[in-house]
Amino acid sequence: MITTAASWFEKTSLESQVLLLTWAMAEVHVIGQIMGATGFSESSLFCKWGVHTGAAWKLLSGVREGQTQVDTPQIGDMAYWSHPIDLHFATKGLQGWPRLHLQVWSQDSFGRCQLEGYGFCHVPSSPGTHQLDCPTWRPLGSWREQLARAFVGGGPQLLHGDAIYSGADRYRLHTAAGGTVHLELGLLLRHFDRYGVEC
Amino acid sequence: MAAASPSVFLLMVNGQVESAQFPEHDDLYCKYCFVYGQDWAPTAGLEEGISQITSKSLDARRALVWNFPIDVTFKSTNPYGWPQIVLSVYGPDVFGNDVVRGYGAVHVPFSPGRHKRTVPMFVPESTSKLQKFTSWFMGRRPEYTDPKVVAQGEGREVTRVRSQGFVTLLFNVVTKDMRKLGYDTGPPDTQGVSGHSPPQGLPT
Repeated sequence: MITTAASWFEKTSLESQVLLLTWAMAEVHVIGQIMGATGFSESSLFCKWGVHTGAAWKLLSGVREGQTQVDTPQIGDMAYWSHPIDLHFATKGLQGWPRLHLQVWSQDSFGRCQLEGYGFCHVPSSPGTHQLDCPTWRPLGSWREQLARAFVGGGPQLLHGDAIYSGADRYRLHTAAGGTVHLELGLLLRHFDRYGVEC
Repeated sequence: MAAASPSVFLLMVNGQVESAQFPEHDDLYCKYCFVYGQDWAPTAGLEEGISQITSKSLDARRALVWNFPIDVTFKSTNPYGWPQIVLSVYGPDVFGNDVVRGYGAVHVPFSPGRHKRTVPMFVPESTSKLQKFTSWFMGRRPEYTDPKVVAQGEGREVTRVRSQGFVTLLFNVVTKDMRKLGYDTGPPDTQGVSGHSPPQGLPT
C-alpha cells in the first residue's frame, strides 16, 4: 500500500507534490547562521558547508550547500562568517535527520587554499534556538606528507566528502584535531504533534 | 463551518540597536534595514532607519551607545525567508570622508520573548596592497552597492572580509497564530541572552 502510494505521488506534477506535501507531511525549518570558527592555526578562514538528509526528506526551499566568505579577524582570534542558513524540509520519516557537514579551509596572501578541518553536526531535533560547537579534524598522512605540509602547505584531503558525516570506513583514517566551528541554528517544527512525535 | 483557520501568521519585533564595540574607530552611526523572503510583507512600523552619530564615552568603558529603536510587524504564510536585520556602520576616516566600518546581519529570533544578540561586523577587503593604500588615501573604501547582500549566502565565495567590531541588539518578539498553523517554535525565552559574546577585554 505504501509503495504504491509513494510511486503514485512521484508521478504527480511538482505543484501538486508541493501542495500535498505541505498539507500532509511534517515540516522542519532550519533558520540560523554559521557564526565563525576558533582554535585554528591559520587566521584567514572560510568554510564550505552542505546538508545531507535521508531518503524520507525533501528540500522544499533553500540552498543545500554553500561557501562562506574569507574572514581575517582584527580583534581576537575568532573568524566571523555570519553565513545565513534557511532551509525548509518536508519529511515522511524520522530516519536520516539532517546533518550539516563542514570543511574549513584557510587562504593565504597568495590565494592558495589549504584544508584546516572537516566536521559535521546533526541539526538539533528540539524546536528553538541552539548554540552549536562543532569540533573538526584533518587527515594526517605519512610523516613525509606532514613535513611537506609544514614547509610548503597542502596536505592530504578526503577523496569522497561523505566520510565527513558517515561512520563507514573511518577506521582507515589517522587524523589530528582542528579548531571548532560555532553555529547558531534555530529549529521550527510543523505538524510533528499530529504524528505523535515528541521532541 | 466553524471560523476558518488562519492562513497567515504575524511576527511583531520591537527592540533597539543598543551599542557597539569598535576598538579602532570612533564617531560612528548605524543604518539598519530588514531583508525577508517572498512570502513575507511588513504590515506596520519602519523597515529602515539611520541612527545618530555616537562617540566613545570618556570613562573607562569607552562605550559606543545608540539606543536606537526598532519597531516592525511582518505577516507571512511561510517561515522560509524569515526576516533578517542588516546593519551597516559608518564613520569618518582620517581625512574626514564617510567610510564603511562594518556590515552585519542576524535573523530575528523566532521564539517569543526577550533576546540579546551580538552581531560581528566585517568590511570587504581590497585584493592587493596597492589597492588598500589607494582606497585609504582617496577615502573610497570597498563597500557593497546594496547592503542587503550581507543577508544572502550566495555569491560569498569570492569575497574577502575583515571582521573588526560588534553591535549588540535587543529584541522582543511576539508571534500570532503560529501555533494555530501547526508551528512549534520551542520554549519561550525570557531574559534570553544568546549569540556569541565578544572576546574578553571588550565592554559588553
